[in-house]
Amino acid sequence: MSILGVCEWLQSLPWASGIKESTWQFPVIESIHSLALSVILWPAAILDLRLLGLAMRRRPVSAIAAQFLPWVWTGFVTMVLSGVILFAAEAVKCYNSPFFRVKVVLLGVAGFNALIFHYTIFRDVDTWDRNPATPWRAKLAGGCSLAVWIGVVAMGRALAYA
Amino acid sequence: MGTTVRDTVWAFPVIETFHLLALAVLLGTVLIINLGVVRTGTRNSGMARELEPWMLTSIAVLILSGIPMFMSEPQKCYESYSFPIKMILLLLAILWHFTLQRKWTAPEASRLAPLRGRLAACLSILLWGAIGAAGKGIPYI
Repeated sequence: MSILGVCEWLQSLPWASGIKESTWQFPVIESIHSLALSVILWPAAILDLRLLGLAMRRRPVSAIAAQFLPWVWTGFVTMVLSGVILFAAEAVKCYNSPFFRVKVVLLGVAGFNALIFHYTIFRDVDTWDRNPATPWRAKLAGGCSLAVWIGVVAMGRALAYA
Repeated sequence: MGTTVRDTVWAFPVIETFHLLALAVLLGTVLIINLGVVRTGTRNSGMARELEPWMLTSIAVLILSGIPMFMSEPQKCYESYSFPIKMILLLLAILWHFTLQRKWTAPEASRLAPLRGRLAACLSILLWGAIGAAGKGIPYI
């Protein structure tokens, strides 16, 4: 079955079409999806800003990561669950939207960037933990993450109106 | 300004993106500071001091980006239930934040009355969260 076929099947499922047709279900799930941004995006951005040397310069990087990464994971689970439900309700619209495709690619880039960061430069965080000025690879990871997440939010908004 | 936003296809989503990013900063900060109060009974003043400028900046960005969005569809806002509720809650939240909330969650006050501090923190989270949710409701009800 083609991807479009899968989208058509998903959208025709009773629970998915029920969400789309109900007057309040879609906006409520969308609200949860938007409000969860504050749990995933801002804590992640604080870590990114610290890596860039733009915020909380006096706190150790590892302390910020330890405090905020649990938030990011909680937010991530909420975003993915609510996002999958929203996607199912409008699967064909999403499939046809270039904004949605860019959003998925950006999410992949965000994941890949985080993975590289954790398995390379963050491994020897002990050596630069307290430095207000971080190594260039940490700055690159922070800047990349920040830019990609702003793009994800922008694509999400564009998707809603296109 | 209102007609420009309405007549430009991408203007509304672009402004809304900034509005949403600032909302994430504001709500995130509110959660970080107030969940800390709920958990420990007192405000981590170091963290609060570092996050306060971000909170004030995000409120400014929210209001500045909110105005052109309102001007592009004032009638829709006027007819919706969510919009007046949101504005009243916003006024209450700002008043609350700069008066009793700060006083009651301050380290000395919350040591003397930890329950009051915790309740004040919960009310803050509910108020700011409700503003976000009411905003989402404007296009629908």
